Amino acid sequence: MNALAQLGAAFVSVCQPVSLLFMIAGVAIGIVFGSIPGLSASMAVALMLPLTFTMDSSLGMNVLVAVYIGGISGGLISAILLNMPGTASSIATTFDGYPMAQKGEAMRALGIGIVFSFLGSLFSFFVLSFFAPMLADVALKFTPVENFGICFFALTMVAILSSGNMVKGLLAGLFGLVFCFVGMAPIDGTPRFTFGNQDLLAGFNQLTTLIGIFAVADILISAEEMNAKGVQTIPVTKVKGFGFSMKEFISWMPGALRSAVIGTGIGILPGIGGSTSGMLSYVTAKNMSKHPETFGQGDPEGIVATECANNATIGGAMIPLLVLGIPGDGVTAMMLGGFLIHGLSAGPLLFVKNADVVYGIFAACMVCDLIMLVVEWTCIKGFVQILKVPKHILMPLILVLCAVGAYATNNRVFDVQSIIVFGVVGYIYHKFRLPTTPFVLCFLVGSMTETYLRRGIMSYKSFGAFFTHPIFDFFWFVACGVLLWSVYKEIRASRAKKTEQAA
Amino acid sequence: MFFKKYGDFVVGIFYAILGLALIIGAKALPKSKVMEIGPDFMPTLVGVIILVLSIILLIETATRFKAQAAELDASGYKDTSDYKRVLGSLVSAIVYVNILKPIGFIISTLVYLFVQIYILAPDKSRTKKDIISYAIIDVVFTIVVYLLFRYAFKIVLPAGIFALQ
Repeated sequence: MNALAQLGAAFVSVCQPVSLLFMIAGVAIGIVFGSIPGLSASMAVALMLPLTFTMDSSLGMNVLVAVYIGGISGGLISAILLNMPGTASSIATTFDGYPMAQKGEAMRALGIGIVFSFLGSLFSFFVLSFFAPMLADVALKFTPVENFGICFFALTMVAILSSGNMVKGLLAGLFGLVFCFVGMAPIDGTPRFTFGNQDLLAGFNQLTTLIGIFAVADILISAEEMNAKGVQTIPVTKVKGFGFSMKEFISWMPGALRSAVIGTGIGILPGIGGSTSGMLSYVTAKNMSKHPETFGQGDPEGIVATECANNATIGGAMIPLLVLGIPGDGVTAMMLGGFLIHGLSAGPLLFVKNADVVYGIFAACMVCDLIMLVVEWTCIKGFVQILKVPKHILMPLILVLCAVGAYATNNRVFDVQSIIVFGVVGYIYHKFRLPTTPFVLCFLVGSMTETYLRRGIMSYKSFGAFFTHPIFDFFWFVACGVLLWSVYKEIRASRAKKTEQAA
Repeated sequence: MFFKKYGDFVVGIFYAILGLALIIGAKALPKSKVMEIGPDFMPTLVGVIILVLSIILLIETATRFKAQAAELDASGYKDTSDYKRVLGSLVSAIVYVNILKPIGFIISTLVYLFVQIYILAPDKSRTKKDIISYAIIDVVFTIVVYLLFRYAFKIVLPAGIFALQ
């Protein structure tokens, strides 16, 4: 009850007109940064940080929170409209969002994405407000061994993703792992497969890879029939409200809840992050669905799963950040820096000493979430105007934006060149009918898996010792079970096909 | 035609070579002196899995090749893809990313954007009027992006031979 009262008091102080105005501006700036690939939420926070120096500390923190939330959710706009994930977290949104936009349902897809982003983060903020200290203890129990278990679990999801043509799907995914090896090996920094190239030492950047394999490949693929189809613009069907009925909304709720739990859970573990949680939740939704074949063809449930999970990761990630002072990724590290400048001492004593500040942040999170919903919803009509530009003009403009975005991530021309390389990979995958989703999943999780495996072995000497960790056991055996079950299903399906052909 | 008929063979052979290359490449990596598994462990493991899977794929493809090829020939499938536009786009994109640094963002983008739009444009939309409108879009977009990144996002794009202060 105490928490509730403090949260209420915090709401009152957050909702002052000046602070609201600043937060709206912050969310809007965050959305712009989030929607352009290469401009990340961490960059937005870094740019805004100096501007908050002159503000008083609670206002400064509110603005930082606003930019952060806007930056994470902004990624869905470009993912749906342009097949170009603005941030790595919104990668799985492209799988169903872009097909929906192609079918003329861009407004509906955006509406669904926005609403479920809102709900996902709201869920995680409630968890954050009421259970943060308890959950922080759980986060401490996660050693590299447990993290390896989760990564391994995520990798085996490839088997589910590629059901129907498993061998090709697995091969498609393993190629993603091969790209992870390029660069310095984790732990000891041995250069691998760099062929003496300086630029390859740092490995391939996540975002440039994703941009290449989706956006750049898309340009090449659509070039194939640009002439045959004539001038193309994508139709946009107007929708009322958010574009879905109450009945649909209720039918999506169980999936949304599951995704929000996955997102918050992954968020709590430092170092795994929004892109993995979105993918995991997408695959789980596909696997649990009664109609898995519609996933990837423009199924709203795919958007629900991803957007709910990647936004729920925000609240999850704030838990170790605030309670333990451990930032999980680049953007939370920036946030921690910002909080420290404004006089917050993150750590176990935070809830005892600075309870008012903490609840101020929680309240700001929820209010910013609402602002995000309102801002993005009012702008949907503006966003979809992009689709009025004919494809042969739009696509080159996207490529330039991708190139600039790739350059902005590290100020290296090498990253710009690598988007073309991955664009070619994506095009070849399309030609040989290899699925790109497993590639992306493996690429995102690959280097993490190896790092945790080797770190775990370093601290526990042998792989056998991993099995003394119950949480690891759980993930390991579930993953093995999933793998065996998928292989069994695959073999049975191909046998059935054979007898059918013989008959 | 080629992709449909021989696609899986090409994929299988490519991956078999990749798997072998990984295993051989990993052999050259130093072993870890302090741990059971060193930097060579994962590449070797993945290489072996790739090799096994690619062999399965090749066998699978070979066993159903005849039936599938016959089916394909019967269906009269024809590849209507316009490879001229694909190749043109690819070449111009490769040139673009390589001249970006030495020549600078503004000039290289002005040139690339125009060329790329022209390549992608359907034959019907290549009239004089269209070309003028492409040129206008090209100039406006390039300058807006440059100014936006330079002054709003504080990211300096490669200036090259022509720096805009």
